[in-house]
Amino acid sequence: MSNPWIAIGALAVVALAIPLTMMAVSSLLRPSVPEQGKRTTYESGEVPTGSSRQIKFNIQYYMVALLFVVFDIETVFIFPWTVIYSDAAAEFGMTTALLPMVVFIAILAIGLGWAWRNGAVQWVRSPRATKGADTYE
Amino acid sequence: MVALPDWMALAPALSLALASLVLLLADSVDPDTTNTGLLAGISVLGSLLSFGFAGWFITAGTGMADSTGVALFNNQLVVDQMALFFMAIVGSVTTLVVLASYDYVAEHSYQAEFFVLVLLSATGMSLLSAANSLATAFVALELVSLPSYALVAFLKENKGSVEAGLKYFLIGAVSSAVLAYGISLVYAATGVLRFDGVATAISSGTVQTIVDGSVQAQAGDPAVPMAILGVGILMIIGGVAFKTASVPFHFWAPEAYEGAPAPISAFLSSASKAAGFVLAFRAFAVAFPIGDLLAAGGAINWVMAFQILAIATMFIGNFAAATQETVKRMLAYSSVGHAGYVLIGLAAVSGSGEGLSLSMSAGMSHLLVYGFMNTGAFLFIALAEYWGVGRRFEDYNGLGREAPVACAAMTVFLFSLAGLPIGGGFFSKFYLFQATLNVSAWSLAAALIINSALSLFYYSRVVKAMWIEEPTGSRTIESYPMGLYTAVVGAALVTVLLLPGFNRVSEIAFQAAQLL
Repeated sequence: MSNPWIAIGALAVVALAIPLTMMAVSSLLRPSVPEQGKRTTYESGEVPTGSSRQIKFNIQYYMVALLFVVFDIETVFIFPWTVIYSDAAAEFGMTTALLPMVVFIAILAIGLGWAWRNGAVQWVRSPRATKGADTYE
Repeated sequence: MVALPDWMALAPALSLALASLVLLLADSVDPDTTNTGLLAGISVLGSLLSFGFAGWFITAGTGMADSTGVALFNNQLVVDQMALFFMAIVGSVTTLVVLASYDYVAEHSYQAEFFVLVLLSATGMSLLSAANSLATAFVALELVSLPSYALVAFLKENKGSVEAGLKYFLIGAVSSAVLAYGISLVYAATGVLRFDGVATAISSGTVQTIVDGSVQAQAGDPAVPMAILGVGILMIIGGVAFKTASVPFHFWAPEAYEGAPAPISAFLSSASKAAGFVLAFRAFAVAFPIGDLLAAGGAINWVMAFQILAIATMFIGNFAAATQETVKRMLAYSSVGHAGYVLIGLAAVSGSGEGLSLSMSAGMSHLLVYGFMNTGAFLFIALAEYWGVGRRFEDYNGLGREAPVACAAMTVFLFSLAGLPIGGGFFSKFYLFQATLNVSAWSLAAALIINSALSLFYYSRVVKAMWIEEPTGSRTIESYPMGLYTAVVGAALVTVLLLPGFNRVSEIAFQAAQLL
């Protein structure tokens, strides 16, 4: 049996090689068209305002990020639950296995519904954030 | 009587959580609602239900049949008499606060959010009372803290409120980090997070593990590194000191209480403090038994630490209160001083750990009485803010002629806080005094007496302004808000009734402390 660390070393090499190759190949193939939009800081397609040292995003992006965390946490709990669900349902009965997760998701759904109704996901465009951005959109 | 299922033991916490979800649903149906009556009604109903369940379970003797109480979720939560006692405190304070908020938030937007945050924070406090593991306690503590940061900054047009909220948040984040680090060190040293497991690790001196819900020694019997454990316990003391607004983490309290809406100041200074203390009582009485800790090589003598903290907190809180110019800030510092009195509950213990149940029950009783008298006093400030009375002592001049009922209630609160036999505060301080004498802790006893005498001086400044001084400016009180009046008068009534009823309270508290 060879040393298992060889596989990890190979993984590291591949991990470095793939992005480097992609960048090298694309720099050989692509046409060079410098443009302002390509130099802005990228964060989930949000247009930043201010200089590159103090990047500010539209505050509504923060709300979306918070709601994202809701689903994130939900996933963290649902995945292990789905894995053991059929065994648990067979051993303890369906109610014991299903009900806690239903309650958990119901609580999250109430929170999400409340945020939705109160306009957390309603996208209002602020003039400042979109100023100058229309040129390359 | 019908035997309820075990999970129903959490009903005091569940009814608070349910009420907050119903509020969210109500607000989803009509987001622009200004129907304060409905929102406050749901909140009052939920918190009264919580208080009712806690009271019912205490009298029915829930969790007394078994020495460990009703254990839920693999012992992560334990509902015993102590948990129920603190759930009752939280329920009663929350009821008073949401009742008083009815008038206070009527002219603000985001009313539903206000009540939801109060109830969620109260849910955390209720759960914290039952937490039986460091991890559960930490999560519950965060559930208490996060809504309260937002609540302090609720008046978002008001710079003082926003500043207070930010300060509270920053100090809170730091102390949460300290607490989390302390918990991780205790876990590293003992191998368990459950309080009973930590206690077993300390008494046996070997690292423990939990197999199928029962605590066992880890394979190979590795020894508990006492130095790491000691540092961990010290950091947990720091986290508790923040939540209870004790020295050395007390400096957020005056800022936060002064900037926050007055009902929130009442909520934080009574219920939130009680929640911090229940964590301290349970963690230090169950998880870090002082006798075993000293016998096992003395990682840390937390009784000594709490003695120093109690004396420092009493003196700093009361002396700072005596020099204040505004009433709300004076009450804020006096609430720091009261944290010092309750800390006696963990400090008046002899070297071998005797006297802990007596002193802890004294601390618990004081917290219950304090829950009514201090909440009442802050709600009176809310009333004064509602009327547009100024902040300084002079602004209260002659208020007694215009609002005699509310001022009489305030007089009861203040004299009871000082320890005069007009309310339950007299007996609870006397009980604390007895606890110090029981273990011959003369320095604690002296600090208690000196500070109570000093506190009488600054409390009576308010009383003098209200009743004796002539009104300086012209002031007209236009309305007498129902909700605030009901809450203030109700709190005053209970404070007075606790004078004859204190015996019962101290009995329940003593029994609860002994069962631990």
